[in-house]
Amino acid sequence: MAELTVKDVALRLGDNEILKGVSLLVPAGEVVALLGPSGSGKTTLLRAIAGLETPHQGSIAIGNTVFCDAARGIELPAEKRGLGLVFQSYALWPHRTVFDNVAYGLTLRGVSTGEIKTRVEKTLSQIGLGHLASRYPHQLSGGQQQRVAIARALVYEPPVILLDEPLSNLDAKLREEARAWLRTLIVTLGLSAIHVTHDQVEAMAIADRVVLLDAGLVAQEGTPTALYNEPATLFAAEFMGANNRLTGTLVENSSGRAAIELFGERLSGMSRTKAAAGAKATGITRIERVRCASNPGPNRLKMQLKAPMYLGERWELVFARENLTVRAYAPAPLDPGEHYVEFPPDALWVF
Amino acid sequence: MPIVVYRLLVLGVTTLVVVAPLSLVVYQSFLTAPFFDPSAKVGLLAYSFVLADPDFWQAFWTTIAIAGGMTAIAVPLGALLAFLMVRTDVPGRRYLEPLILIPIFVSAVVIAFGYVVAIGPVGIFSTLAKDILGFVPWNLYSLLALIIIAGLTHVPHVYLYSAAALRGLSTDLEEAARVSGANPFRVAVNVSLPMILPAILFAGVLVFFLGFELFGLPLVLGDPQDLLVLSTYLFKLTNKLGVPSYQLMAVVVVAIIAITAPLVFMQRMLLRQAQRYVSVRGKGLKTQPLPLHRWRWIAFAGIILWLCLTVIVPLFGITLRSFVVTWGEGVNLLNVLTLDHYRELIEYPNVVRGIFNTLGIGVIGGALAVACYTAIALAVHRWNSGWTRLVDYLVMVPRAMPGLVAGLALLWVFLFVPFLSPLKSTMVSIWLAYSIVWLAYGMRLVSGTLLQVAPELEEAARTAGATDLRVKRDVTVPLIKYGMLASWLLVFLIFVREYSTGIYLLGPGTEVIGSLLVSLWGTGAVDLVSALSVVNVVMIGVGLAVAVRLGVRLHG
Repeated sequence: MAELTVKDVALRLGDNEILKGVSLLVPAGEVVALLGPSGSGKTTLLRAIAGLETPHQGSIAIGNTVFCDAARGIELPAEKRGLGLVFQSYALWPHRTVFDNVAYGLTLRGVSTGEIKTRVEKTLSQIGLGHLASRYPHQLSGGQQQRVAIARALVYEPPVILLDEPLSNLDAKLREEARAWLRTLIVTLGLSAIHVTHDQVEAMAIADRVVLLDAGLVAQEGTPTALYNEPATLFAAEFMGANNRLTGTLVENSSGRAAIELFGERLSGMSRTKAAAGAKATGITRIERVRCASNPGPNRLKMQLKAPMYLGERWELVFARENLTVRAYAPAPLDPGEHYVEFPPDALWVF
Repeated sequence: MPIVVYRLLVLGVTTLVVVAPLSLVVYQSFLTAPFFDPSAKVGLLAYSFVLADPDFWQAFWTTIAIAGGMTAIAVPLGALLAFLMVRTDVPGRRYLEPLILIPIFVSAVVIAFGYVVAIGPVGIFSTLAKDILGFVPWNLYSLLALIIIAGLTHVPHVYLYSAAALRGLSTDLEEAARVSGANPFRVAVNVSLPMILPAILFAGVLVFFLGFELFGLPLVLGDPQDLLVLSTYLFKLTNKLGVPSYQLMAVVVVAIIAITAPLVFMQRMLLRQAQRYVSVRGKGLKTQPLPLHRWRWIAFAGIILWLCLTVIVPLFGITLRSFVVTWGEGVNLLNVLTLDHYRELIEYPNVVRGIFNTLGIGVIGGALAVACYTAIALAVHRWNSGWTRLVDYLVMVPRAMPGLVAGLALLWVFLFVPFLSPLKSTMVSIWLAYSIVWLAYGMRLVSGTLLQVAPELEEAARTAGATDLRVKRDVTVPLIKYGMLASWLLVFLIFVREYSTGIYLLGPGTEVIGSLLVSLWGTGAVDLVSALSVVNVVMIGVGLAVAVRLGVRLHG
């Protein structure tokens, strides 16, 4: 197995510039998540890799096989790329049984009938659907259909398997189970995979590396922990996790440390900006890092507790002061009234 | 075979088949004599002759009057009918729907014959009226009667498009009007019908256009009063000068196409606009029909009255006529019942051939036509190229040619191209003419089915390793199988009904019921005509019954 390289790919659909020069590397055996809001181009990038859309710039290759290279006018048709693709809607052929759906790729590759039978049965039992081979897709549940779609893409052992939001059609509870199941399957079989999703939790759970796309460009890429704990841009910081946003004036910015001032208080954190003191700045902090205190102190703001909400495993507290709203978690409810909200300096990024 | 080769092949053949007859007609119109006449020269003689003929202008204005009049009748009635059927609680809607569509599927000549034998000067209802009232209160042979009949028989066309648009319209708009205090009539006039105005407008242009295609009704009902429309003028021209006056006919054809082509183009634009208007419906919410209360049965009676006038009167007339020797004042119908007319049918070998040919063209010809339409539709399916526009326009070309005209053009092609001549007197010529005339209709049926195939089903096969053509064979075609079957049934119905396209191609070996009816009517063989009409209606009835039974949507 070889690595997949995407170099500076740009793609237009009609008049819309969807991808504006995206590069990507997927080493053998690695699971990469393409994460981004809708319209960021993640599905288009996946379809370009599969050969279903044609970039007008850049190249895509796997090992020494060039899939497409706009500069050299090379465009290998989708059917010659030998990749596996799992569609968001599963796209199971309704006129074929589960067995025939899975077997089709092998039939096209001229595999003998006997071998097709063994290989399809092996794949179906790997995904735990061996007993449903003779059913038609509409006789299966959503979760089962999704597994068949994965089996169909796996059976001819593609170098990379492409997954286009495969879990988004499942209901919330099933999705979490399927996420664990899919991660285990990919790791056990040692597959290379590209997994498209708009759900940051899913991306972090399933992938070795997350590539965050924003408006057709790579915003940031790295391991899930790196992306969550060290966002490089405001977009990355806000897209990952649940956040509080503090707008104030930059009062200090040197050697990686920065401080903003609001309501006359000074909040210091980690600098993610090149602006000089006096400029407007935005502080971002994860909700779960906000702490509540009863007396003033460094990096604390006096705020009014508005609405405590019971979430089951914890309480969510909403604080307000003028037009600033801050959310925090607490193990127990606090009394309404004035409190001090602390933003720890190692959990506050200043942009 | 690479897909490009297949696509270009299909495109080439389609272009040839569509453009050749048309160009031959245009070419012929600029000759001074028929194209096979060695003395024929290029010139405008034929144009100056036709345009100087007062009969031509008379026919032209009559056509305009009929087309305009029938549009004025069909559009309001059709839109209202659609509102009643789709949105209100008119009783028996499920059973009325297929009945409403009957005028679309029954041959216009059969309807026209039916009117003659039912309410013509000596028709069954006319004699009945004379018995009771002492006089006949209507006159079938008048321009007004022709306009009313044409209008009433085209109500279903307006109904189809209005009903489709209404079904696509979210009902909450109407519910909002009701909650604000509007009664059902106000809801229809103030909300529903304005919302589907683009569809109604499209249907209006369609009916106006169909007015120029009218042939059976003016031929049968206009002839006794020497009332000519463009199509019947063309038909009469065949024998006007004693010699084949092809150049004059070609000019008339060019004149007809010069009117119909812009109308076809307009329909296309309006249809696009109408589709843009469709507001997306909520999630399959079954909404309560609008209660009409005391108007419920009045609306029902109105629909039944229309059905009586357009379907039951003519079909009852023609059926009764086929089972009696004669009727008239003082004749007891029970004493004149007979099956002789049907026995007579079997005695004419050309009629027997005609019946079998009609079945053959419907069943086998229909299947072949659907196969061809599918081949064309598959060639442009998911083809991301400007060439698909060409196919769009190509398909529209035959639409501008009424059946009579297309049959004539094809006859000339068979005469003009030496190696095609042997096919002229075979059913191949009829099949080709029918398939070309109904190209746009058939393509719409098949493309409609193709639209329902989700693209990712095909993309999944591509990524699994199937070539374009393999994807079509293994995925696309199996998925549209039911749609193709439904198209076959509908094409069967229109091929069996068709009468005008085969007229110029009629000869030993190419008899079909439709063209035989027209030619037999000319000889005055009413007995034979009524029996053969009933045979035709029964064939269509069986086809319709099968279609309804299988749940086929009766419109593309």
